[in-house]
Amino acid sequence: MDTLTRIAAGLLLGVFVFTVAAPLISPWDADHIDWSAIETPPSSTHWFGTDLVGRDLLTRCALAGQTSLTIALTATTLSALNGLFWGAVAGYVGGRADLVMMRIVDVLYGLPFILVVILLVVVFGQNPFLLFAGLGAIFWLDLARIVRAQTLQMRSAAFIDAARLAGASGFWIVRRHVLRNVAGPALAWTTLTLPGVILAESFVSFLGLGVQEPATSWGILIADGVPSIESAPWTLLFPAGLLAISVWSVGIVGDHLRDHLDPLHRSVTQGPGLRHARETQPPKQGNGS
Amino acid sequence: MSAALTRVLLTVIAFLAIITLVFLLLRLAPGGPFDGERRLPPDIEANLRAAYHLNEPLPQQYLRYLSALARGDLGPSFRQKDFTVNELVARGLPVSLALGSGALVVALLLGLPLGLVAGMQPGTRLDRGLMGVAGLGIALPAIILGPVAVLVFAVKLDWLPAAGSDSAAHFVLPIVTLALPWVTAIARVLRTSTAETLSLPHIRTAYGKGLPTRRIVLSHVLPLALVPVIAFLGPATAGLLTGSVVVEQVFELPGIGRYFVQAALNRDYTLVMGVTIVYASLLLICNLLADLIVLWLDPRARARVKTRVTTPT
Amino acid sequence: MLRRFLALILIACAGFSSAIADTLRLGNPGEPETLDPHRYNLRLEETILTDLFLGLTTFDAAGQTVPGAAERWETSADGLRWTFHLRPGLKWSDGTPLTAEDFVYAFRRLLDPRTAASLAYFMYPLANAEAVNAGRLPATALGAVARDAQTLVLTLEKPYPYLPERLLYPTAFPVPSHVIEKVGDDWVKPEHWVSNGAFTLVDWQPQAAVRLKINPHFAATGLEPASVSGVDYLPIASEQNAWNRYRAGEVDAISAFPSSELDAARKEFTRDLRLSPLLSSMYLVFNTRRPPFNDVRVREAVALAIDQKVLVGPVQRAENRASTSFVPALVSEYEPQSMPGAELARDARLERARALLAAAGHDAAQPLTLTLRGFSGSETKRTLLAIAGFLDSIGVEARLQQSELKVHFADLRRGDFDVALAGWFGENNPEHYLSLWASTTGDVNYGAFADPEFDARMSAAAEEADLQRRNALLADAEAVGIANFPVVPLYSVTVRRLVNPRLDGWIDNARDVHPTRFLRLR
Repeated sequence: MDTLTRIAAGLLLGVFVFTVAAPLISPWDADHIDWSAIETPPSSTHWFGTDLVGRDLLTRCALAGQTSLTIALTATTLSALNGLFWGAVAGYVGGRADLVMMRIVDVLYGLPFILVVILLVVVFGQNPFLLFAGLGAIFWLDLARIVRAQTLQMRSAAFIDAARLAGASGFWIVRRHVLRNVAGPALAWTTLTLPGVILAESFVSFLGLGVQEPATSWGILIADGVPSIESAPWTLLFPAGLLAISVWSVGIVGDHLRDHLDPLHRSVTQGPGLRHARETQPPKQGNGS
Repeated sequence: MSAALTRVLLTVIAFLAIITLVFLLLRLAPGGPFDGERRLPPDIEANLRAAYHLNEPLPQQYLRYLSALARGDLGPSFRQKDFTVNELVARGLPVSLALGSGALVVALLLGLPLGLVAGMQPGTRLDRGLMGVAGLGIALPAIILGPVAVLVFAVKLDWLPAAGSDSAAHFVLPIVTLALPWVTAIARVLRTSTAETLSLPHIRTAYGKGLPTRRIVLSHVLPLALVPVIAFLGPATAGLLTGSVVVEQVFELPGIGRYFVQAALNRDYTLVMGVTIVYASLLLICNLLADLIVLWLDPRARARVKTRVTTPT
Repeated sequence: MLRRFLALILIACAGFSSAIADTLRLGNPGEPETLDPHRYNLRLEETILTDLFLGLTTFDAAGQTVPGAAERWETSADGLRWTFHLRPGLKWSDGTPLTAEDFVYAFRRLLDPRTAASLAYFMYPLANAEAVNAGRLPATALGAVARDAQTLVLTLEKPYPYLPERLLYPTAFPVPSHVIEKVGDDWVKPEHWVSNGAFTLVDWQPQAAVRLKINPHFAATGLEPASVSGVDYLPIASEQNAWNRYRAGEVDAISAFPSSELDAARKEFTRDLRLSPLLSSMYLVFNTRRPPFNDVRVREAVALAIDQKVLVGPVQRAENRASTSFVPALVSEYEPQSMPGAELARDARLERARALLAAAGHDAAQPLTLTLRGFSGSETKRTLLAIAGFLDSIGVEARLQQSELKVHFADLRRGDFDVALAGWFGENNPEHYLSLWASTTGDVNYGAFADPEFDARMSAAAEEADLQRRNALLADAEAVGIANFPVVPLYSVTVRRLVNPRLDGWIDNARDVHPTRFLRLR
């Protein structure tokens, strides 16, 4: 693991610990209004300052992080399961079913996704579970394609044939071999999808279509902080910082995972790079391209 | 050629499916388009519903919409009573396109050099440093970057206008805000494909022959490494267009993304549908073009490039 | 389409387009949905339409009602018959003479069911208006007749002393029949546009600008014509953007900025800052259909828990005015009636509130929980959160639900809420506010409040033609109504604007109306 990835992983862990631990340790209840300290800057009593009605911002940032991360993780997990299932079935069954299933994926690719999220929320109301489902229903398309391609490759692999000859059922083969082999790329993909989901949730919340008070999320805190960007900059700075750190580190960690776990990208780490290319003698039978 | 024909056919089917999906979704929405702040007596509401054919059964409304669409007519806007959806799209689309194409150029100008340099030496300190910086692009979403940029460059420094769309200067901040996440994405794609290309046998042969690095990169590595980037341009262009929804909202730019958000919040069924259809067709066309170009460039790449793409929001 | 795109790029290449020096750029809080005065719905459309048209009555620079297209009028002794004498030489912006027939045409069009005007009920005081609007009577039955080209006679259903004020609204504006008969609904397009106000429409780029230029025929009315040559209305929906654009010097006046920036505005924009109390009433409404809000003790307890002074003070910090009566204090010739208990000290109020709740069967073991609804926006959010905080102090748990303005009010009209924030703006007329509690009012009586005694007093007032006696009767009705707590009055809004000090003729007023023809650039 290189330094950059280590920094990112450390920050990510820090944010995670903060969101979980801060509400437990903080002396302030997330809903408690301190009437004597409405929109006050960071101080020894309120480390992150207070929000627009005098609630402790540190506690609310952590609570918001719990919501944002829960939504992101739930939606991504749903997405991942959906994509795994769809891709594996399409790839394994093949033939007409594969064609139809992948065409459905193509159709969904044409949906302008942020528009769809907004539409879903407008149509079905401001229910966090629908937000999970809506986001989860959209982000799985890439994964379905990845998994299908892998499954297709594997279907013709020798060990699958061996398993089949040994009398294993199709379901068993998919579960045992295919899923195990796509787990790596799927994990990398999941990590790389997280930022997108976090950002989508924050925009939906920014429009006022996300979860409702007294619950909160980073998007909501940012939306509240923007009008006070000058008069109470801390109300924007802390949630925005937390969101940016999370998205940045998840992206870096995801990149790392993909470089190492996705066979399509393995050459990035195992390949020669420029320096190695220069130092290595070319194989003699280089196919004259 | 039949592969290309299949793609075109599928795009048409996808288009029809999307129209149907959005139509049904919108009719499920609670609240009507005429729920205003002030009251509407039942008689008047009935008049309004009849005027917009909302009193007809659903299948009939659907057919009415489809047949109008076939004539290129997106219908009247429920909320913007003085405009048809066609007129609104005609006014908003150039703004969105200017924003999107500007951002695409910026994303390429910044993303390609970053990705190429990082991909030449994957795993080195330079690579990690560059990718770390590039990663910031996605970490600063428009809802944060927009207001901060306006405050700094428009209000405090007075270099650029704060909002509006009267001149090129008005587009600078929105374009940069929109482009940043795509700098990251394009850099990531090119980095990976450059690293992969470098491991191909004939590139090593070229090095073995002692050709100068610059020539190898420009005439051997780049052409191959760019194939995934070209494939990525389809989704990227589509992503820039939908990303403009956020940016237009933040900067109050009069593009179709802004119409969409306003229309969705106001339950302006016809405008929402019109804008969604325009977006969906742009998306489908971008994806189709990218597919066709890749097919034409390198039939073998087809299976691979599709799976490579991970788009930011 | 392609040509427009190229044109845009060309304009873009030309750099900043320099605006004409004496064209005003005014921020409007959103995009107008229509410029058809009979189809309009929003205050921000009223602003533009008031520049474009001239009704029988109109605003002066201070927002007072003064004669407009009519130079004078007489009222019959029973208050049912109003005769308006038009100014001589009235013309449309294309030079066509404007007559009393144009007004008759306009009233009939407004109330024609096919026009589907959502504010048609504004003119229901006219005889047979409601029946015409419902399609039960022909348009000719309407109580609007042109005696001759210069004389318009309006007949009313019941006495209505507030008629001159009602005629200020775009629903009473004339529309150019000669254009509408020719081009139909397209008459609102800039290329067909004809109006009779100080300005006429040049261009409308949705979400970008509505551009007006001076109407050369307006001077013939004898009213003061505009001194600027044009005005661009820019839709600026977010207060944050308005604040930024004003500071960047891109607009001459804005309609609002974030309340959190009030202190900064006081320091940096001392001469630009305009704080003016608006004729308005913001209140919490109880859904009396739903238990326990059908219990007056619960309603009173909630009302007593709320501290209006803390709300407008430390919480909002926006100079809004705390209010304990439903009819705003700014309504002229009227004595607003406070809710009972408003005079008590904070502790006494809370104690009484807890006692009332306990009597209604809610205590710590069985706390009252409710959903508090409001529309979107950061100022609303502060308000709702503070109210939830107040309720917490008497052991009531409030969950919040904020939704988009239109959805919010749609749900209120359907009665889908427990307790909700609502507001009523505009008229200098107590009846406008109090009629919201009448059981006959329908869905804007959101909480379905019904009290026979209150209804009886309202009907008695409706028969009175004399304004002062009528307002006294209405004050009695308010006192009877508020004692039953259909609502909790909260505050009346103070508008915070920034206006370029170079702009002369801007007079703050309780309606927040500033017709552009009175504005001059120094």
